This record gives sequence, C-alpha cells and structure tokens, in this order.
Amino acid sequence: MHKIGSIGSRGTRTMRFAQLTILSGLWVGLLGPLNLPVFAQESASTAADLEFFEKQVRPLLVERCYECHAGEEKNGGLLVDAKEALLKGGDTGPALVPGEPEKSRLIEAVRYKNHDLQMPPSKPLSEAEVAILVEWVKRGAPDPRVATSSGAAPLKGMSLEDGRQFWAFRPISNPPVPTVKNSEWVKTPIDAFILAKLEEQSLQPAAPADKRTLLRRATLDMTGLPPTVDEVDQFLADESPGAFQRVIDRLLQSPHYGVRWGRHWLDVARYADSNGLDENLAYGNAWRYRDYVVQSFNRDKPFDRFVTEQVAGDLLPDQSPETHIATGFLVLGAKVLAEPDREKLTMDTIDEQIDTLGKAFMGLTLGCARCHDHKFDPISQADYYALSAIFKSTKTFGDSNTGAIKHWHEISLATPEDKERLKSIDAAIAEKQKAASSFKSQAITAIRDKAREQAVDYLVAALSMDLDTSLTEVALIAAPLGLHPRILHNCRRHLEFHAEDPFFAKWHEVAAATRNNKVANVCEEVSVGEETASGELADGDDDTPAQSPEKPQADMPVTSDKNPIVSHYAPLLDAARKWAEEKKKDSKLKPHDDPQVMAAHAALFNNSGFLTVPAKVGFAFDAKTLEEYNRLADEARVLESFAPDLPSAMSVGDAKQVLTSVPIHIRGSHRNLGQPIERGFPKVMQTTIADPILPSHSSGRLEMADWLVSSSHPLTARVFVNRVWRWHFGVGLVGSTENFGVLGDAPTHPELLDWLARNFIQSGWSTKQLHRLIMRSSVYQMASSHGDNAAAGEAAERIDPENKWLSKYRMQRLDAEQIRDSILAVSGRLDETIGGKSVPLRNRQFVFDHTSIDHTKYDSLKRSLYLPVIRNNLYTMFEQFDFPDPTMPTGSRHSTTVAPQALLLLNSELVMDSADALASQLLEQHAEVGPRVQALIKQLFAREASDAEVQQIDQFVTKLCSATHETSVPPERAWSLVCQSLMISNEFFMVR
Amino acid sequence: MRHIRSGCGCEGASQGSESEQVASLHSRRRLLQNSAVGFGYLALSSLLNGQARADEVAGATTSGPSNPLAPKPTHFAPRAKRIVFLFMKGGPSHVDTFDPKPLLDRDNGKPPPFELPKVLFAAQGNLLKSPWKFKQYGESGLPVSALFPHVAKHVDDLCILRSVHGTNPAHGGALLKLHTGSDQFVRPSMGAWVTYGLGTENQNLPAFVTICPTLAHGGVNNWGSAFLPAHCQGTPIGNASLAAAAAKVKHIRNQRIDVGLQREQLDFLTRFNQQDMERAGRDAALEGRLNSFELAYRMQSAMPEVQDLNQETEATKKLYGIDDPVTENFGRQCLMARRFLEAGVRFVQVTHSDSEVQWDQHGDLYQGHTKNAAEVDRPIAGFLSDLKARGLLKDTLVLWGGEFGRTPTSQGTDGRDHNPHGFTMWMAGAGVKGGFAYGATDDYGYYALENKMHINDLHATILHILGMDHERLTFRYAGRDFRLTDIAGRVAKDILA
Repeated sequence: MHKIGSIGSRGTRTMRFAQLTILSGLWVGLLGPLNLPVFAQESASTAADLEFFEKQVRPLLVERCYECHAGEEKNGGLLVDAKEALLKGGDTGPALVPGEPEKSRLIEAVRYKNHDLQMPPSKPLSEAEVAILVEWVKRGAPDPRVATSSGAAPLKGMSLEDGRQFWAFRPISNPPVPTVKNSEWVKTPIDAFILAKLEEQSLQPAAPADKRTLLRRATLDMTGLPPTVDEVDQFLADESPGAFQRVIDRLLQSPHYGVRWGRHWLDVARYADSNGLDENLAYGNAWRYRDYVVQSFNRDKPFDRFVTEQVAGDLLPDQSPETHIATGFLVLGAKVLAEPDREKLTMDTIDEQIDTLGKAFMGLTLGCARCHDHKFDPISQADYYALSAIFKSTKTFGDSNTGAIKHWHEISLATPEDKERLKSIDAAIAEKQKAASSFKSQAITAIRDKAREQAVDYLVAALSMDLDTSLTEVALIAAPLGLHPRILHNCRRHLEFHAEDPFFAKWHEVAAATRNNKVANVCEEVSVGEETASGELADGDDDTPAQSPEKPQADMPVTSDKNPIVSHYAPLLDAARKWAEEKKKDSKLKPHDDPQVMAAHAALFNNSGFLTVPAKVGFAFDAKTLEEYNRLADEARVLESFAPDLPSAMSVGDAKQVLTSVPIHIRGSHRNLGQPIERGFPKVMQTTIADPILPSHSSGRLEMADWLVSSSHPLTARVFVNRVWRWHFGVGLVGSTENFGVLGDAPTHPELLDWLARNFIQSGWSTKQLHRLIMRSSVYQMASSHGDNAAAGEAAERIDPENKWLSKYRMQRLDAEQIRDSILAVSGRLDETIGGKSVPLRNRQFVFDHTSIDHTKYDSLKRSLYLPVIRNNLYTMFEQFDFPDPTMPTGSRHSTTVAPQALLLLNSELVMDSADALASQLLEQHAEVGPRVQALIKQLFAREASDAEVQQIDQFVTKLCSATHETSVPPERAWSLVCQSLMISNEFFMVR
Repeated sequence: MRHIRSGCGCEGASQGSESEQVASLHSRRRLLQNSAVGFGYLALSSLLNGQARADEVAGATTSGPSNPLAPKPTHFAPRAKRIVFLFMKGGPSHVDTFDPKPLLDRDNGKPPPFELPKVLFAAQGNLLKSPWKFKQYGESGLPVSALFPHVAKHVDDLCILRSVHGTNPAHGGALLKLHTGSDQFVRPSMGAWVTYGLGTENQNLPAFVTICPTLAHGGVNNWGSAFLPAHCQGTPIGNASLAAAAAKVKHIRNQRIDVGLQREQLDFLTRFNQQDMERAGRDAALEGRLNSFELAYRMQSAMPEVQDLNQETEATKKLYGIDDPVTENFGRQCLMARRFLEAGVRFVQVTHSDSEVQWDQHGDLYQGHTKNAAEVDRPIAGFLSDLKARGLLKDTLVLWGGEFGRTPTSQGTDGRDHNPHGFTMWMAGAGVKGGFAYGATDDYGYYALENKMHINDLHATILHILGMDHERLTFRYAGRDFRLTDIAGRVAKDILA
C-alpha cells in the first residue's frame, strides 16, 4: 500500500503551498499590472478551472462518490462534498494533494491498481473519468464548495476525567454496614446490605428454606452433584446450631468442589479441547490447564496469585511447570490457524487475548478500541495499542506449522526418555499410515492397468450411452464386459468434453452414425440402448440386417473387427502400449513414427483422461478392497489418536525481540499504521498518575499482572466477587458479568459490591472465605418462594417481579453438567475419577477435517468436566443445555427451554440407560412398591414420597404391565419409564 | 476501501444516556432468552389438561408475542417468503461454470498480465484455460459451460452474480464469512438472523434446517445462533459424512418404546409436573418445560413425515435424479429441501459435500469438477423445475454457490487455487431478475471489477429480498447492536425484479 502517514502528507502539502506562494510572489513582482494577492490570483487562475470543475468534476463526484462520502454518509471518515473535507481527508489522511495526482490517495483509489484501495467499490471509473480527476488535481483541485454539513458527529466515549468518576473506575470504597429494622435476620454483613434495600422497597425476605431444600441447593451449588441419601439423613439428624456450617466446610473440602467451581472459571477462560474456528485441531494439552484450574480452586489459591500465574506464570521468579501451564489461559483462544496473512493473524490473535483479558478480569470490552476510541467507555485506541505492544512482545505461536496451519506455542515437559519412547511410537504410526497409502495406490494402479487393457471395450460401450444414462444403466452395460461402471460413466463425459480432440474424432463420427441409425430403426426394433441395458451385448447377433462397416451398431460384438471403433482404435492402442513398454526399458526411445500412435499413447496414459479412475476410494474400489483399505486406514487413525504425545503444555513465552511500542492501526488495519504507542495500561485505570516504566528486556506481562492484582486496581476484585455472587445466586450484583462499562448493567447493590471486594482483598483473596461468608448469610438460606405469606409474595410479585432485590432465593434450572452428572449419580453410574486427558486425539490432530466424520466419543461416565469440549461441534447435551460458546468469556450462562432438549431427555441413551440402571437397583433392593417408591423419591429429590405419589406410580406400573394393556411391558421397562420421567421432571431439574 | 474490522463497529449502538430504555431492553431480552420455547408455544390451558393435540397446535401458530417463532412482520413488503441455499462446499470455479473468459483461452499458459494479491495461499502458475466449452442458452443467451447442461436450461430463471467477492482465502475463514458475516468472531449465521427476523410458519418444525452440512471449517458455527436466542439456531439433518437417506435429526426417535407407550409416559410426566407446580407455585420456566415436551412429541412425527420421500411419485424422484446413483444423494437432499420449504420452513440449506474435499480442485480440476457437476446438475435442474411447477419459485429465493471461486491461474499443472477476490454465485426465483447477469470480473476472472458484490452486500441483498432492512435487523448484545452485515453491506438493487 502506498503509505502516506497523515503527518508526512500534511508536511508535503504545507511545503507545496509555500512553493506556490513564493512563485506567486515572483509573478507579482514581475508582472506589475497584474498584481493580485495570492488568493485572488488563485481564483483568477481557476476561472476556467472552475468551469472544468463544474462541468466535469462535480457531476462525477456526485454520481460516483456522494452515495458514501457526502452529508451524513461518511464512510472511512471521508467526505468529498467540500474542498476542506477533501484536503482534510478521512481516517487515512488527506484525500488529495493539490497539483500532485501521484501523491493523492483519491487518484490512487480510482486508478484501481492497489487492491487494498479501490474506489468506487462496486464499479471502477472509466479511463476517461480517471483522466478528468487527474487533470483536476493537476490543476490544483480548484473547488468552490464549502462544507454544508459536518457529517454525523461521531459517537464519543467518556473523557478520562468523566471516566474516573464512573462507578466502575472509582476506587473501591469502604461503605459502612447499614443498620436495618429486622436485625434478627442479619447473620452476616451481607444480609444487612440486602435487607436495607428490601426494607427500602417494603419487601419482606422469604422464610428460611427447609433443611432438605437447603442441603440439595448447597450440594448442587458447591459440587454440581445432588446430595446422597446418607448426606440427607445426616444433616436432618444434626440439630446442633453449627449443622449447616459443617455442611459448608464439608462441601468446600470435597474434591468435587474444584470440579464445579473450576468449571465456572473455565467458562470465563473460554476453555476448549480444540481450536474450532477455521481449522479444528485438537488442543491435546489443554487438559493440563483445566486440571490446573481445578487444583487451584481446591487449594484455595489466592485469586491474585491465580491471576498472575495465568497472565505471566512464565515470568515469575518462582516459576514452575505449574505456572507455565497456567499461561495456557492466553493460548486457549480460537485462532484462524490457516490465515495466510501472518501479520493479520498476529494482530487478530492479540485482539482475542486483549478482549479475553478485558472481559475475564476487568469486565471491560477492550476489543472495541481496536479500530477507534471506545464509543462508550473511557478507553482510547492508544490504550488498546499500549496493551497490544505487551502482547506483541509475547510468543503465542510456535515456530512450526503443518502446511498452511500454524502451530500455537507450547513448552515441552518431556524427559529424554519420553522423547526416545515417542520416536518409536511415531515410527509405528508412520508405518501404519504407509501401509494404508501404499495399499491404496497399488489398488488404484491395478484398476487403472486393467482399464487400459480394456480401453477399446470402454470406447465401444460408451457408444450405447448418452450423458444422461444413469449409473444403474451404465452398470448393466459394463457388467458383461467386466468394465468398471464409474470409469465408463466418466469415459462418456470425457468424450463429450473432448469432441474436438482429433484422437476422439473417429469415435464421435461413429457415435453420430449410430445415433442416425438408431433413429432410422426405431420403429422396427427395440432400441439399442434397451437391448444393451438388458445385458445382451456380448452375445453377438450376426443375424441382424447386414450393415456396412460405416453404419455400425453399438451392440456389435466388441471383438468384431467389423466394428469401426475396434478396427480403428485397437491397433493404435496396441501400438501405444507396446511403445510404452519399450520406453520403459529404453528411456531414450524416440517417439513412434506414427503421430496417431503417440496421440493414442497420450490419451491412454493420461491419468485424468478417458479412463480416469475415480479419486474417491468409495467409487473406485469394490466392496472387498474398500473394506480392506478402510481397515488399514482406520488402524492407522486409531493408533495415532490413542498414541501418547510428548508431555508439553500450551503456554506463552516472551518473544526474542521485545517491542516497546506498536503503532496505532488505523481502523484496525495492519496495513494502515499510525503513530507508535508505548507499552502501558489503560489510562483510566492507571493506579498512579505516572505512566508505568516497563523493563526493556521483557514483554511487560508480569508488570501488567501486578497492576491487575494491585489492591488499588478498581476492577479486578469487583469483577471476581461479582462472578462468585452470580454463580451462587444466578444473577450478579452487576448483571452483565463481562461488562462493567457504560453499556453494562449498573450494580443493584453498589455498596455491597464494594464491601465484598474490599473484604475479599483483606481476606488474602481467598475464594473459599468468600463462599463461607455468602453461604452463612440468611440471603443464601431463604426459601425460593414466600410460601404461606401470601401478602409478602404478592408484594414481591408486584414490586419486584424479576427478584432484583432478592426477597427470595432465585430458582435455577440445573446447568448442562449438573443435569448429566446428577442423572449419572442418582443411577449409580457416575465415575468419580478426577483429572487427566479426555480428548481422544493426539495433539494437533484434526478433530474435523473435510471428512466430517466425528470420532469424538462422549461415552465416558466421568464428571462432565472431563468430556471433550469441541469447538464448532459441542457435545449435544452441552449444546442443548446452554453450555457457553467456548470462544468467548462467559460469566452468565443462559437457561433456555427448547423442544430439542425434551427430545434428548426422552430419547437419548444416556438418560434411558441411567433410568434402566436405577430401575433395576430399585427392583433388586425393594420387593414392595411402597418402599421402592420411597427410595426413588428420596434418591432423586431428597424428600419423602406422599401416599398419593406411591399410589400413582403403582397404578401407572400396574397398567403398563397388565396383560390387557395395548403393549404389555415387563416390570423392568415400566419402572425404567417411571425413573426416566422423574429424572427429567421439573422437580429434578430445578434448584430451589 | 475495505479494512479489517475488529468486529466491534459500534455505529448502531445507542447512547447509554437512556439507561432506563436500555435496562428494559435488557430485561426483555433476558426474558426472551430464558423463556423461549423452541419451535413454538402452546396455549397453556389446553396443555395443562393434557389434551393438546395437533389441531390446537395449528391454531397456536399465530399466538402472541410470547411465541418467539411466530411469523413476524417484515420491514417492508417481502419479495420472497423463504430461502434455500444450495451450498457447493470447497469452491466451484467460476471461469469453468458461469463466467466465461475468452482471453483465458487465448492466453492459456502465459504468465498473468496482472498483479496477484499480496497474500497468496500457495504459489500460482500461469493462466489456465477452461477445459469446458461454453454455450449460450435460453432467450437471454447467457453462457453456461458444458458442466451444467441441465441447469443451463433454466438460465432464463437465473440471476447470475458474477462479481461476488469475500475477504478470506482459506476454507474455514471463507465459510464462516459466507455463513455468518465474520471470519474472526463467532457470530449468528444468516439462517439464524432470518429466523430471528421472520419467525416461521410451521410451529412443529424448526424454522431453519441444514441438510447434511459439513462439520469442518467452522462446523456448527455456520448454522449456529451465537448470541441470538437459542431457537434461532439451525437444526442439522445428518452431516456431510452421511448419506442423505440416513440423515436424521438427533434423538428424533425413541429406539426402545413405541409412540403409544411414550404418550403414556408423557402423560405420567405431565401429571407429576403439574402436582409439583401446585406445590411450588406457577412459574414461566416450569410451564415452558412442560410445553417443550409436547412440542418435542409432535416434532417426532412431523419431522420424519417431511423427510419421507416415499410419498413422492416415481416421476418426481426421477426428476431429481434419485434413480441414478450418481445424482441420488444430492437429489434426495434437494427433494427433502423442497418438502421442508413446502411445509413452511423459513431457511433451508443443502450442502453438496461428502467425505472428500468436494469442489476444492487444487489439482485435476477437470476430473474433480466433472464428477461434482455430474452429481448436482440434474438434481438442481429438477429442483428448479419442481419449485416452478408447484408455484413455490414465486415466493422462494434460491441461492447457489461456494465459499469462493477459483483462480484463473493454475496450481500445479492442472488445478486451480482458492479465489475469494471475484467469483460467481447465482440466485433464482422470487424477487430477482431471471436471465440476468450482474457484475463482472476482470478479463481473466481474477478480481471482481464491475458492480462488485461483497459477501456483506450479498447478505444485505438477501435480507432485502426477504423484506428486511439489514441495518434495522439488529440484536443488542454486550452493549451494542449487532447486524449480519456488521457495519457494511449494500443492497444490489439492480438485480431486484
């Protein structure tokens, strides 16, 4: 691209103007009487020019440019409806330099030579029109137009000063705990904040939830699993005051706590086991990051440390494999791996990292400032490129690639022994792959050789077909001759497409004669096509009426040398084959004397000629060969898929070369660079008034991490405590968990948010302490409805239908993992093993290539956390139940209800197998219906069954099993249907 | 001038000062997202009695705002009511099908006399002429190559767009760009946008189905709803690795019990859920789940019925080439598509792909395209004839094309590389001029030159034909109003009938 920086070109223009002035001055002196001031002289000299402008230029601009560059339409920031506007130009600087067409972007654009700068976009100007504009600029671009509109005022974000006053950027305050009327309700300071608002709104908190409901709620919340029957009994039996606190402590110590809450963080980290986006390669080592997250939660790693490790674990003084693995956070994003434009790939990847960093830790949409200053928040484009300089000094890609596909960065954790071991495994895989590929090429060669032997037969058989002859009919023609139907089918097409090839001239001549003959005989005889289709071709029929060799029939015996195709082509093809044999022995052999033989040779040995073997193995091979090939190929694939990788981890490192600045990318384009920006942090959140000074030998990520977790950073703690609140209660104090900016939601309880953030930092950023605080509160332990207190319920419904003020616990549907894990748990099928690789593919192996064959299995019975997360093709159960899009940070999952969910619950093996398992347990353990139903209800809902329920279930089962029922079913089936129904019922699916 | 966007373009977002309005929008959206009930929404009372049946469902199709899939008013009078996209995966070559280039014939084997793009996918050779001859067809006399003799007979119904161009030269990026408008972010697919904008006419079927889609190169994202409500996402019928005859919606049938028994199970479940609601109080989420089971139950029978091609006559099957193993698979897909369109499905996509890289002839262009064209030519022609005969073509927009075209220069000796800089798609049916060629590439077919139609413009035009203004079809997400066309898109008014 012709690069004209805005500063540079402005300089050029000024200089040019200075020259003009000097020259004019000279003229003034010389010409005396024509003495005119400079500007007057300019307008005088443009009298003719103005006419030129009015007649030639203005109509052209109006017709071809105004649609996008006049008045309110200001594409690319450019207006062409006024002189000033053109001189000022758009985002990329001045549109023209008067007098200098070669330096004017307007001219460059209309010339259409630069593929990145072509105007008008839909249709180029004619050469004459371009010449008009060139001439105009040469004349100094005379233009009487003055601005009539300034265009729509661009949306402007907040100023820095205003920004610092916006709630999210103000320092975390130290609010006093409010005093409330109903002080008995207050168990923790949290309750005081909540109750104060409720009292303000004249709302009453709901009564405490009953013990069973509370236990089910807390257990699902903290571990993702329902409580066991024993756990329910224990809690019910424990009537001491600290009973629920002991439950909280027990749950926080369960390894399943990390499985549940680690998964929450993985939503934010847009965790996946594959790249998705353009080329879906397996992230074979992502699981190490996943397990790191689970462990971090289980060990209550201080959140500030957790953040630092993920952003800069590779740079820590006390770095370890664990802290390197943590930086996988920055590598996990979806990338356009086959993007051929390396610089674009780099900047797009940095964009993904900045966007993730912003949303995950700060609740900011920093990505919006890539092309322009943020339109709402006080984040400038310079802020964006200050961060991007830090990331550009970070290595996210490795140095290797597979064809067009770039590899992301990993660090090796391998020992020399590992490497030795892998060598032999790789060799074994290569051997298997070779076995499959050489089998394939040998088989194809055999088919091709045979077809070449039968070349004449193909040409003869093709006579009885036309382009629309179906493959079924072709197969009938091919079978008696031992020809390959697909080759024959293609042969006919090839002949059609090569009607002008001299070698096939004879064939077309005969074919034409055959057609004519057919038309002539159509009344007397069965048509040739039908006869051949009935397979009688090879029988010969010498009794057919005598024919001249020039009037042949397609059903003439192939061997018959009366057939002109045979008599013409057989000798040529034989000679060609013979010549080819000799050529094999003697590479210096001269071409055959007969050019027709050489033409035959070219046609015969053209792999894409009239005897092409189908490229698709399914079309080329017979069933037996295909089966063998598939077996070999699958063997290779399976061996590769399950082979271990060298232990390594997705991680970043510092780039060899540290960039201390990155230029502004005008409109986000890497081909349009502006002024350089030093590394730094968004100004509105700088915690001191001085700009940071970053080390020249490293990227600055460690300093960025320190800044993020500084106690004076306004957002990191706020954003995280809000997330934890969201995950406990279903809605955050700030509803938009990823957007604390102007367009996000304002906090419902700003004082509580600040109190929690401050308390969190004071506790040493302990997540488990935060859980305890929240769960011990009355607000967590409320019932999900006002129950018998009708007045309070009615008031809540009227004043606060969305339950924003939390006068009751918010009922929530189980999320995808809770659904699957609960169903497996209550049916006794859950495998509680924790950790390890789960994607059944090798690192960087294709999850999906062009075959669209899904080799990923979801039949593991481990916790859902350990099922593969495949971008672009999520596990159906996940996809249907609102698993988040694993390409972007998500703090608040949706909870939708769509019919395909019901299909899955009614018809999937997962649910039906679980119901079968539960039913057979019940049948085995309880001979009587009553106890059986009691056990079932307790297992599923942690409560007693009512007599009515026992009766209903009994009736249902009895009816299905009775001999008079339409399709009488065995008791196992009937009980399985009962179990399934209850497992997919609202009571099971809702946390109350 | 086209620049790389971060995908953030915020022009559409309104000022934050009207915070109340924004807040109400937020809660409304949340309500929509959280209580959307799949393929329809039944009157609750009849359900609670456990007596919902098909006749009542039919009456529910125009139910109020609570049904997010009810047909919605358009911005202006639509030219087409529904759309079918015949997607040729891999990138069919325009200079070998619908965009003849005599100069390419003349200069075969010579180095290209123009500048190649700065970023190339692979090294490129000299100019390569088309192995196929072009002929003029119909009253319009538009040329079509020997690859499409049957489609050529419909040329007077085709609106051939010869100046389409995209931004991404790789399959994945180009598929995503074509299907979602973005090759860098996960965004709603065009089918999801159309569903969001128009709702649908048959509440027992999904509004948007995609038949045998490819799972590679963007996979589900190409029919996903991203941040649009879940009911907008496409329902895949099988995938590219499966034969059309075996393509089914996942979990559409219970393999263990018959429908009668399942009805009894559902009644049992409904009763249990009702008792629970009596205890816990009524709630939209609980009621929504009840409805979803009934809808699923009806979909179980509606879906296989539409897919059942045995209800068609032999003549119809023949028309689509189902009698010929070469054309059978794509023929079935097209016939299924017609049945979906007829049943009121809003957006149907049919993908021509399989376990090979279908139209992607980096080598042996000749054999590859010969095979591919033979598989789709008759089915597409039959499909167009059938739509016309049934009067469906009057209000159905047909779109044909791949994710990009191919270079007029050679790759290796006999292949062509990807070319997103200028290629051909065609439309037919409602709203567009037939027998009409729009735009042009340069003399050799490398770059779109005249009446250039970027993918964003294509999207804008499709929405326009369906009665929607692409600048007004927006969805507020993460603080801004998103569009299918992001911040670009011009309607190609010249092609409108």
